[in-house]
Amino acid sequence: MTAPQIDPARLDRNWRAITVELDAPRRTRTERLLRRVGVPSHTARLAVATPSLRRAWFVAIGVVFFVGLAAADPTNPRDDLFALLILAPLVPLLGVALGFGPEADPAYEITLSTPMRGFELVLTRAATVLITSIALLTVAALLAPGRSLAAFAWVIPSLGLVSAALALMTFMSPRRSAATVAVAWVVVVTVIRRNALDPLAAFAAPGQALMLAVVIAGAAVAYARRDRFDLLQVSW
Amino acid sequence: MSPAQILATGATKRFGDLRAVDGVDLHLAGGITTLLGPNGSGKTTLLRCLATVSTVDEGELLVDGLDPRHETDRLEVRRRLGYLPQEPGFARSATVFDVVEYVAILRGSRDERARRLQVLDVVERVGLGERLSSRVADLSGGMRRRLGLAQSILGSPTLLLLDEPAAGLDPDERLRLREIVTEQRDAATVLVSTHHTAEAVIGDRVAVLDGGRLVFVGPPEQLAAVASGRTWVQASEPKDVRASWRQADGKHRCLGAPPPDAALVDPTLEDGYLLLVGA
Repeated sequence: MTAPQIDPARLDRNWRAITVELDAPRRTRTERLLRRVGVPSHTARLAVATPSLRRAWFVAIGVVFFVGLAAADPTNPRDDLFALLILAPLVPLLGVALGFGPEADPAYEITLSTPMRGFELVLTRAATVLITSIALLTVAALLAPGRSLAAFAWVIPSLGLVSAALALMTFMSPRRSAATVAVAWVVVVTVIRRNALDPLAAFAAPGQALMLAVVIAGAAVAYARRDRFDLLQVSW
Repeated sequence: MSPAQILATGATKRFGDLRAVDGVDLHLAGGITTLLGPNGSGKTTLLRCLATVSTVDEGELLVDGLDPRHETDRLEVRRRLGYLPQEPGFARSATVFDVVEYVAILRGSRDERARRLQVLDVVERVGLGERLSSRVADLSGGMRRRLGLAQSILGSPTLLLLDEPAAGLDPDERLRLREIVTEQRDAATVLVSTHHTAEAVIGDRVAVLDGGRLVFVGPPEQLAAVASGRTWVQASEPKDVRASWRQADGKHRCLGAPPPDAALVDPTLEDGYLLLVGA
């Protein structure tokens, strides 16, 4: 093709596209993994953009994963299961606490000023955290010897804790709300264990039904007060 | 799109008993406005209300007729908005590209290829094209400010709000910043807050806030004129003046009600500003 036949604007566009492909930095491992499993590029970016979420949350997952395996005591399986069931729901809770708000996101004020709804962003991160932790903790539960379906009794409680934390986040900072929910969870489950014959009484059908109600109530409160995710909370 | 219109009527924002923004009336449509005021005068609070991350408690603050207190209006204003907060803060481990791309996604850019080109465009416009892969931790203060500016001009906003963009910059960086900001003059209504009167030179008009109240809006020369006939120099130490300071020539520059034999001088913008904010 001779020079006069080349559209300079098109040439420039193509050159810039090549430049940006070559110069753009490599994605993080987590982001590449999310994209490989089919998460769209923009969602993957939103999910992992908070550095505190990436670091602390993966450490927590690792800790619970190994606690779940290491605590496998064939002589006392229900006690060992209790350790997993009380700890596992705290992992997604930690992820949610580290995924939103001024303490987690250095660009929080800029984030708020964009057309992305704060509620949508917090849900995107909560969903990523929940899906990933549930998948990894399920592997931990399956790897431990002698486990039954009871090993999955933490799934609904973890949804309940996240939902309760989201609702509380409309009143207080994400970290404070997660800490409040975590303390309440540990206290309630420990008290039930001390007063019941079965160490896993808190995770039986009535407990699961109660946590399901918490999921629904928490989600309803968070949705009704979603404006709070959109505005700068000076009191946090 | 044409520059956004800002219409504030009795806009008030309270924090407990403190009226951080107190009954502000303001109409802006295009051009660059410099928002001057001492620390704690309400500049940041007013910009936050305009940026829709905070809301007024009394009165109205409309952008293109939209009221950010309502969710749908707020999202529509945000589509037209570019905002650089006073302390933007970016993850230190993130790269220049990461930071701007993240904001582009939050602004609704879904197509990856188009988004990358958009990022490259604004990064080049602020002179960081060669630093796409540099980490925030490795950038100078001036470069970080330009990075903040890059994200704020994504998507060609019609309302651009910059809170103290020149804070802590050396003269070269300030000049570069001015060039970038003045490029937006025709496309957007630009509001730049500062407590340095020297920065007001880039504005078509100046707005002065003091104690939450808007005490002046007008062209820079009109602000200087506020001190006309009330600025003089004298050799002796002055008494009963609003403000005075000793100049390099040893004489005292005085602001206030001049004595009958005062040697009046042409006032500067700073003289007018100091008289207004009750120096």
